[in-house]
Amino acid sequence: MASGCFWRCNWLVLALTLCVSGCATYADQRARVQALFISGDLTKAQEAIDKGAERRFDRDVFQLDRAMVQLAEGKPREAEQNLREIRDRFDQLSQPAVGEKALSMLTDAQREAYHGEDYEQVLIRVMLSLTNLVQDGSDAAAYALQVNEKQQQVIDAAKLPDGTNPKAGYQQVAFGPYLYGAMREATHANYDDVQRAATVVCSWNPEFPYGQQDLERAKHGRHSAPGNGVLYVIALAGVGPRKEEKIEFPSQVALLIGDQILSAIGDQTLPPTIAPIKVPRVVLTQHDVGSIGLAVNGQRLGRTATITDIGQMAVQQHEAVIDRIVAEAVVRRVVKKSVIYGTKKLTGVQKHSVEGFLLDMVGVAWEATESADTRCWGLLPDKIQVLRLELPAGEHQLTLESLTAGGYPLGRPTTHRVEIVNGANTYVLGNFPHGNLVGTLLTNHPAKQIELAQTPAR
Amino acid sequence: MDRRYFLASALTALAASCRSQPTAAVRTPGQPDMVGSQSAGAETFKPLVAQAMTELLARHCTQVIPAGVNTLPAPPKRICFMGVENRSAEEIGDFKDQIYQCIDLHLVQSQTFQPVNKRYVDAGLMQLRMRPDQVFIPQNMRMFTATMEQQGQPFDYVLIATITSGTTREGKEYQRDYLLTMELTDIRTGQYDKQAATLSKGYYHSHLAKLGNAMGWKR
Repeated sequence: MASGCFWRCNWLVLALTLCVSGCATYADQRARVQALFISGDLTKAQEAIDKGAERRFDRDVFQLDRAMVQLAEGKPREAEQNLREIRDRFDQLSQPAVGEKALSMLTDAQREAYHGEDYEQVLIRVMLSLTNLVQDGSDAAAYALQVNEKQQQVIDAAKLPDGTNPKAGYQQVAFGPYLYGAMREATHANYDDVQRAATVVCSWNPEFPYGQQDLERAKHGRHSAPGNGVLYVIALAGVGPRKEEKIEFPSQVALLIGDQILSAIGDQTLPPTIAPIKVPRVVLTQHDVGSIGLAVNGQRLGRTATITDIGQMAVQQHEAVIDRIVAEAVVRRVVKKSVIYGTKKLTGVQKHSVEGFLLDMVGVAWEATESADTRCWGLLPDKIQVLRLELPAGEHQLTLESLTAGGYPLGRPTTHRVEIVNGANTYVLGNFPHGNLVGTLLTNHPAKQIELAQTPAR
Repeated sequence: MDRRYFLASALTALAASCRSQPTAAVRTPGQPDMVGSQSAGAETFKPLVAQAMTELLARHCTQVIPAGVNTLPAPPKRICFMGVENRSAEEIGDFKDQIYQCIDLHLVQSQTFQPVNKRYVDAGLMQLRMRPDQVFIPQNMRMFTATMEQQGQPFDYVLIATITSGTTREGKEYQRDYLLTMELTDIRTGQYDKQAATLSKGYYHSHLAKLGNAMGWKR
C-alpha cells in the first residue's frame, strides 16, 4: 500500500516537474527580435515577436517590443494603443497575487505574470508621451506628468516598516520633466512651469549639458524670437539593457551545506543542492553610438546629448533589488525540498532507501528545471538623447547622422524635410540602435510639399 | 474532517490568490474630497478658488447709485486673465489648468467682469513672444494692448492669480500654508486690487500623529 502511494507521489512530482518547469526559449527569441530590429528588418522582427508572444507568460513583454517596432515603422497610433494597454495591465499586475507567488515557488520566477521592472514602468509613460507627441500631442503632457507620478509611486511603495527604502536612491528619468517643460514653453504663458521643470532636469541629471542653458532661458528668456520656431530632435540611441542568467554560487554552497547537515541529523534526507541557483543580472550591450549629429540645410548645427541613461538606470535599480531576488530563489529551493521531505514522510519512505534516493533525484531534477526571470523590454534604447534648436519658420532639410563618442561619423546619414512652425515646437524622433536609423523618422510637422521619407544621402 | 479542512484551505488560498482589481466610483456632490497625503489637491484648491473669487466678485459688484439719479449700471470691466503662476513649494501638475478654468468660469458668470478669451491672450503673447511677467514693462504693455485691440479684444484690467506656500516644520510633521492671491491691475492708472484666500494643511508621518493632532495632544 505504502509502496503504491510512493510511486504515485513520485510520478506526480515528476509529472509536475516536466509540466511546469522553466523554459529557456525566451532569451533566444528576444535576442532574435533584437538582432532583426537592429538590422532594420522590421517585418521579420514583427514575425519573431508574434512567435515569442505565443507563450502566455511572455506575451506582455513582447507586446512592449511590438510597440517599439510599430513606432519605428511609422505607426505611432498603434504603438500608443499597445503601450496604453500594457501600462494599465502592468499597473494591475503590480498588485500582489498570493496564488501566483505560490505557483512560482513550486516552479520558477518566470511563472509570475511579468509586470515590468520599475524603470520599464516609468519608461512606458515616456514612450507614450513620445508616441502621442509625434501625432497631435493632445495627451502628451498628461503622459509626461505620469512619468513623475509613477516614479514617485514606485519609490513610495518600497518604503519598509523600519523607515528605510531600498529604492530611495533610484536614478530618476529626467526626460519626463524635460518633455513637460518643452510642451509648456510652447504655450508662451507658463514659464513658471518651464522653470520648475528645468530645475528638476538639472537636479536629476546634472551632467546634461544643455540643462543650465534651458534653465536660464526659462528664467529670463523666451521660447523663440518672432518668426522662429523650435526643433527638438529626440534620439533613441544604442541598444538597451538586457537580462542574463547568473549562478548565485555563495547561496548555492550555503544551501548545500545546510541541507547536508539536516540530512545527517534528520529522519529523512533532503535533495542535495546540486542544481545551481539562478538569478537574473542586467547586462549592458556595447555600442558605438555617442550622439546624433544634426545638419540643417547642409550646415552642421549641433549634436544630441544624453538626458536619460537607461542602461545605467537599469543596472542601478537591479542592484537595489538583487538581495530580494536571491532571497526568493533560496526560499523557492527550501519549498521544493520541503515538498520532497513531506512526500517521504507521507509515504513512509525509509531513510537511505532506494525510494528515498529516487525521490531525492526527482527533487534535484525539479530544482534543476528552474530558470531565472530574464524577461525585459528588449528593444529599449540605451540612451534617450535630445537636441533643441531655434530655426526660422518654414521648411528645412535635416540631415541626421550617428556619431561616435569622439564625434566621428558612424553610420549612413539620412535626410528628411520637416516644417518649422512659427512659435511652435517641431519634434523629430528617430531610432539609432547602431550606426543607422532604423525604420522611419517621425515628426509632428512633416514637410507639406514633400512626403516625409528616408532618402539616403550617400 | 481532513478533506473538509483541505477543501476550506484550498478555497481560502484560491480567494487570496486573486489579484485585486482597480475600481472607481462617482463621488456624490456632498461627499468630502480626498485629502492629498503628500501635496495639495482638490481639498486645497477648490476652497481657495471659491473663497478668493467670491470675495473678489462681492467687492466689485457693489455699486452705489445715488437716489433719484437715473444712471445706467456701469458696463462690465474687461479683464485680461493672464494665468495662474505657481510659486509654491509643490508641483501642481494638472491642477494648474483646472484652476485657470475655474477662475475664468467665475469671471464669465459674474456679469461684473468680462474676461478676454484665453485663446486670444495666448495668441497675443505668442505673436509678440512676450512672457506674461514682461507685460508690465510700459513699452510691452503698449504693444500687448495694441495687439489685443487689433484682435478686437480690448481690455481695462490685467488679472494674475498666484499660488504661494509657506512651510513650518516640527520634527517629522509639517504645516503648509497655501495662499491664492488674485491681483487685478488697472492698466491705465496702474492701481491694483488684491484678494487672497488662505488654507493651512498639516502633513503627518503616521495616522497616530494625525490622530494626536486632531485630539489636541499636539499643537
